[in-house]
Amino acid sequence: MSELRKRGLVTAVICTDPFLKLGKAQSRVFGTPDLPLIVIPHPLGGISLEKVEGRAEVAIPEFVNLIKEHTK
Amino acid sequence: MSDLSDLLKAPDASLETKDDFFAINELYMEKGWGDGLPLIPPTEARVAAMLEYCDRPWNEPVGKVAPRYGEATPLRLAANAVMAGCKPEYFPLIVLAVEVMCDEAFNLYGLQATTHPCAPLVIVNGPGVKELGMNSGHNAFGPGTHSNATIGRAIRLILLNVGGAIPGLGDMATFGGPNKYSYCVAENEAGNPWEPLHVERGFPREATCVTVVGAECPHNVNDHESISGVGILTTIAGTLISTGSNDIYYPDAMPLVVMGPEHAATVANDGISKKDAKKFIAEHSTIPLGTFSKENIERRFRTAFASVYKNAGMDAPVPMIHNPDNLLIAVIGGAGKHSAIIPTFGATKAVTRALKRKDGQYARGMKDMRRA
Repeated sequence: MSELRKRGLVTAVICTDPFLKLGKAQSRVFGTPDLPLIVIPHPLGGISLEKVEGRAEVAIPEFVNLIKEHTK
Repeated sequence: MSDLSDLLKAPDASLETKDDFFAINELYMEKGWGDGLPLIPPTEARVAAMLEYCDRPWNEPVGKVAPRYGEATPLRLAANAVMAGCKPEYFPLIVLAVEVMCDEAFNLYGLQATTHPCAPLVIVNGPGVKELGMNSGHNAFGPGTHSNATIGRAIRLILLNVGGAIPGLGDMATFGGPNKYSYCVAENEAGNPWEPLHVERGFPREATCVTVVGAECPHNVNDHESISGVGILTTIAGTLISTGSNDIYYPDAMPLVVMGPEHAATVANDGISKKDAKKFIAEHSTIPLGTFSKENIERRFRTAFASVYKNAGMDAPVPMIHNPDNLLIAVIGGAGKHSAIIPTFGATKAVTRALKRKDGQYARGMKDMRRA
């Protein structure tokens, strides 16, 4: 994902909250400390498909904002 | 090759502390370094002694250790080997093991950061086993042998301190396992009726080799009754069957079967080759689809593996071993009617490499790896 961002593409990593620290650390490691991290509630596994859709609903507006900002 | 004292002048390469074992350990704990157990202070003299067994530039990385992708310079590796309590002559194996773990096929990033309780298992073959007094017999996976224990611990310290596998930050294991303290063992080649693991994987018998496997802890296979090879293999296959194994979902997975020498002898004495043993185990370790939970069937098998299971009946066989040739068999241990299965992370390939001198020849012993 960091490589795509370096090439100028709209990129974001979607992660659940316990993985935020790992995501931030990896963004720094790969030289893209400003890589957007879209955080959704944990967990993603072991939940109903309706709840998975609920997680997507959390992520979608943030992702739309990201694209808007990128295309300004 | 730079002198050690020059290398230690680099920023953050060393630190001054009170010359007191407990104070030094307290400082390390405060900084979050180490595995939680007391560490041997890596003084310049101790690190220098370790580096005597490294005939390559001490500040040039042999790999980058995920997930931090910290540079694994011999200098850093030596400091960790000292902290783990290693003897200097162990150091060439540690450097080799780190190189092997950094091979892309091994997927160290996945192993380090996953929620799964896996750790790199280091299996040593060849003459280096005897030279370093490694244990391949009774309690080989357990405590009591200096080389097994400290080489394995050095690997873990490197994964923590260079790789950044800090719990909850770089290591997201849900609960981890004791395999994450020290996980290093030698194959019992004398007790192996077939070719040793490294020979099977393309190396000469006289080469000292390291094989790394992204492994769970061993799970025992007790069989005191079978007196036939087929009997032993049937029990091993039955023990492999599990609905909760990562290996089910990765067709290229390379789980490991550790055969105790007595079980191995029973199998080989019936004229069964290692290749045939693998085939038998794979064929007899399938599990009916209906054994899995309804959600796993609907949400995983019928979707992610739709080409096989979309319309499959509940009695459709699900293989634990997708390709018999990918199953690893090593002979380890002493007397007793036990073997073990070791499932893996799944998204990882076992990698084997040999200890080689600077000129590319196989090392005849650890002395060959000393600084010129």
